[in-house]
Amino acid sequence: MTSPATTGPAYAAVLAEVTDALHTVLDDLELDDTPITPDTRFVEDLDLESIDLVTLTAELGGRYGDRVDFPAWFASLELSDIIGLTVGQLVQYIAGCLR
Amino acid sequence: MTTIEAGGIRLNVERLSGAPTPAPGPPQTVVLVHGIATDNLTSYYFTIAPALAAAGHDVVMYDQRGHGRSSRPPRGYGVEDFSGDLDALLDALALEGPVHLIGNSFGGTVALAYALRRPERVAGILMLESEPPTAAWAKKMSGILAGSAHQLHDERTLPWIEETYGRHEARLVRWATRLLHGTSIAEDIGSCPVPAEESWQSLHVPVCAVYGATSDLADTAPWLESLLPRCRTLTVPGHGHSVLVGTPETVVPLVLDWLRDGHRELVAP
Repeated sequence: MTSPATTGPAYAAVLAEVTDALHTVLDDLELDDTPITPDTRFVEDLDLESIDLVTLTAELGGRYGDRVDFPAWFASLELSDIIGLTVGQLVQYIAGCLR
Repeated sequence: MTTIEAGGIRLNVERLSGAPTPAPGPPQTVVLVHGIATDNLTSYYFTIAPALAAAGHDVVMYDQRGHGRSSRPPRGYGVEDFSGDLDALLDALALEGPVHLIGNSFGGTVALAYALRRPERVAGILMLESEPPTAAWAKKMSGILAGSAHQLHDERTLPWIEETYGRHEARLVRWATRLLHGTSIAEDIGSCPVPAEESWQSLHVPVCAVYGATSDLADTAPWLESLLPRCRTLTVPGHGHSVLVGTPETVVPLVLDWLRDGHRELVAP
């Protein structure tokens, strides 16, 4: 996690946005005690259901608009990849679209 | 993400707008209806939905009552309740013109029931591993749901599912347990009214029924073709009941072809 793509202001800003979106859509899941890092896995670590990932990316879609195409990204992933998705992978995808 | 209210039920809806550079043929509105218990709209969102939107079609997905992020009322799970939700969804979204319905498993059952109820609103149905709502189907499905509910009272069941089918499947089953133990779905499916067999002869909505070759349902294809006046069937080799999630790369071209003009080739006799 030391490559330029995972550091720098853009990456940090997106990580903050994703973390905020998580709290917005999942306020009932008591995330407060769970530190969210790039290595955090949505399903395994945060106990999200796959349907929550849809809700999360819909929320992020509202924030980033057409600049980030989440459905197209999901379409490029296998279901097993989606189940194992980390916060860092999502942040990296968004940061790449914004560049 | 959109939420619509219908008869006290909150339905979770996701829409993908068709891309501005569509594939040949006029863009269609496609409503994707998922299966029962261990299913929700993600079975489409993570598989075929993005490709349908990329081809120019407007895609609507929703969680059926008791599933995903929609309401889970304690009762009201007859086929007519599910098809009523679909009707309310089309009203709430003010979808103009007839829509195409894609149904996975039980979702196809709901789509067929809805087409019989509101044929003028349905341009065509493509269903994956689905059966029409008949008395025999209702009895079988009710038994499967009640049997699953019973097994899930045994605390060894979930760990066994996780070990055998993996963690994701176990999570879906854990979710389904709330539906199976917290609602009357098994009895409602078993006791709900089903259309009289002769009523299917009047259904002139074109239907394409897709089966996985190794599924138990594949053998019912000839019977379905004789039951429905405008029906064609297709079989996908090497797959069972989970055609949609198992091979979305096969399902996408089938659906796109059906939306383009495949359904129009089925002329009523």
